Amino acid sequence: MNQGIKNPIAKIIFLAILLLWSVSVIYPLIWTLLDSLKDNQQFFFNKPWALPNFPLLWENYSYVWEKYHFDKYFVNSLLVTGGATLLGLLLAAMTAYVLARFKFKGSGAIYGLYISSMMVPFILALIPLFFLLNSLHLTNTKIGLILVYTSSVLAFGIFVLVGFFKGLPKELEEAANIDGAGYYGTFFRVMLPLSQPGLIAVGIINVLNIWNEYIVGTVLVSDPEQYTLPIEIGVMQAEMQYRTEWGPLFAALMFTIVPVLILYIIFQRQIASGITAGAVK
Amino acid sequence: MARATGHPPNLHERKVNVMNSGSAKLQRTVFIASFIVPTLLFFSVFTIYPTIKALYFSFFDWSGMSQTKDFIGFDNYIEMFKDPIIWRAIGNDYFLVLGKIIGIMALATFFAVALTRFNFKLAGFFRSIFFIPNVISVVVIGVLWNFIYNPQIGFLNSFLSLFTKDQVTITWLGFADHTIWMLLPPAIWAGIGFYMLLLIAAIQNIPESYYEAASLEGSGQWRQFWTITLPLIWEQMKVSILNIMMTTLNGSFVIVWIMTEGGPDNSTQVMGTYLYQMAFRQYHFGFASAIGVLILVLSLLTTVVLQRLMRQETVELG
Repeated sequence: MNQGIKNPIAKIIFLAILLLWSVSVIYPLIWTLLDSLKDNQQFFFNKPWALPNFPLLWENYSYVWEKYHFDKYFVNSLLVTGGATLLGLLLAAMTAYVLARFKFKGSGAIYGLYISSMMVPFILALIPLFFLLNSLHLTNTKIGLILVYTSSVLAFGIFVLVGFFKGLPKELEEAANIDGAGYYGTFFRVMLPLSQPGLIAVGIINVLNIWNEYIVGTVLVSDPEQYTLPIEIGVMQAEMQYRTEWGPLFAALMFTIVPVLILYIIFQRQIASGITAGAVK
Repeated sequence: MARATGHPPNLHERKVNVMNSGSAKLQRTVFIASFIVPTLLFFSVFTIYPTIKALYFSFFDWSGMSQTKDFIGFDNYIEMFKDPIIWRAIGNDYFLVLGKIIGIMALATFFAVALTRFNFKLAGFFRSIFFIPNVISVVVIGVLWNFIYNPQIGFLNSFLSLFTKDQVTITWLGFADHTIWMLLPPAIWAGIGFYMLLLIAAIQNIPESYYEAASLEGSGQWRQFWTITLPLIWEQMKVSILNIMMTTLNGSFVIVWIMTEGGPDNSTQVMGTYLYQMAFRQYHFGFASAIGVLILVLSLLTTVVLQRLMRQETVELG
């Protein structure tokens, strides 16, 4: 039985603080939605917390989608995030499996290399990355972004998945081996399906990180054709100083937020387990 | 396909098996290599090589064109330490590190305790809600907080105007001196959920019997927090503090760039934004690389210092 805290006054104070913080988290999302339905008039003459006037300006969304080319950026973000997540997951899982199950010369050093790389600030690599991709003619391409993002999620994936593979019972592989599955068959047909919970946790966290990433994107991509959503949000916000279109800006934010919120609602438990797995050293 | 392992061979199979063990070994090696090398190659090209190359660049005066790349030894570093902006940036970075450690750890610990030790029916609901800022892009968070601070139509001034005769028009992000303070609330707001989850996991690992025993001895909740909860989650708190420090030094770029671009007059510059500005706005790639090396060195140094400061007997769970 959880002893818990029983003092009713303390409980009420705690509850009040928790409610207050919930409001501070949820309210900005609600006002983003409400403000995405306003025109400039309402921004300048009404209070920011005022409800939008009727008729609601849903056309802000189609305006951003077409005039600001969010149709393109949305697809770019989807392709880049999807590509880098899948590739990163596959590469990380392969290495993690071997590091978890096979002893060989240098295995400790390789594991150490990936883990210690997590201590090195990624921003340090930014300038050489720009020139590297430039010389490969991969700046302003989705492939370039996919390659860099894939590399940036490898260490975390390997770290979590090594732990995950070590936790799986060895008997299953031995059984698969005896059945003549071979190394590759054992990995792809037995181990990968078994490690699905770990793969999903790592994959979802990678999706969130890549979907939201700004700095690499803004350095490697200057061609508006290839923008991802965060890059365009940054550009749009800078432009707001010259042309004020607040309603569309908030509609643009919604396009960025809603997909990750949906993912979060569906995969909450996996995200939490991935995070705690990643933090236990 | 040959078997990697087999049943004990009977006599006439043995000869075949000796040959097989050679090829089995080869198979094993091929398998290991085929699973290690592609990943490692990838990682070497897109992470290790650029990192090392940055160290190399930091010794050159270089505007991005290959013909004007001059080796200048430590001149970038010398110039850097003479540059007042870099000192300001370092100060701002550590201001954010300190502010975020205090703000995030205090609130995250409070929430973690409140959601585990109070038997609230809504604990799961609160936990889900509190994590939401962590799934939203920092770019979006920056834009939202810009709107809160907006002098004409923002939340903060409109709210303050409720209590004053005249319309309040404070430019919250335009102070010459203390604008960096304004970046702290969004940074803390955005960071809490993640660390709260870590601490919740740590608290849930503490056996309930510890608390029961303490209750029997008559120690109150407050005392139990200090004598049981805190010592037993200290290890996780250390990890969290180090993580906040590292992610702040490495990643303050986004929130600062979106909200102030390092201004006004470089007063909110952090090392990351200064690196970006030097490299991709002013094309001093050598100098900017030196800033990157500085970030690496400071983040490693600070890790060592913090670890020494926080060294305390760790309580092992029985």
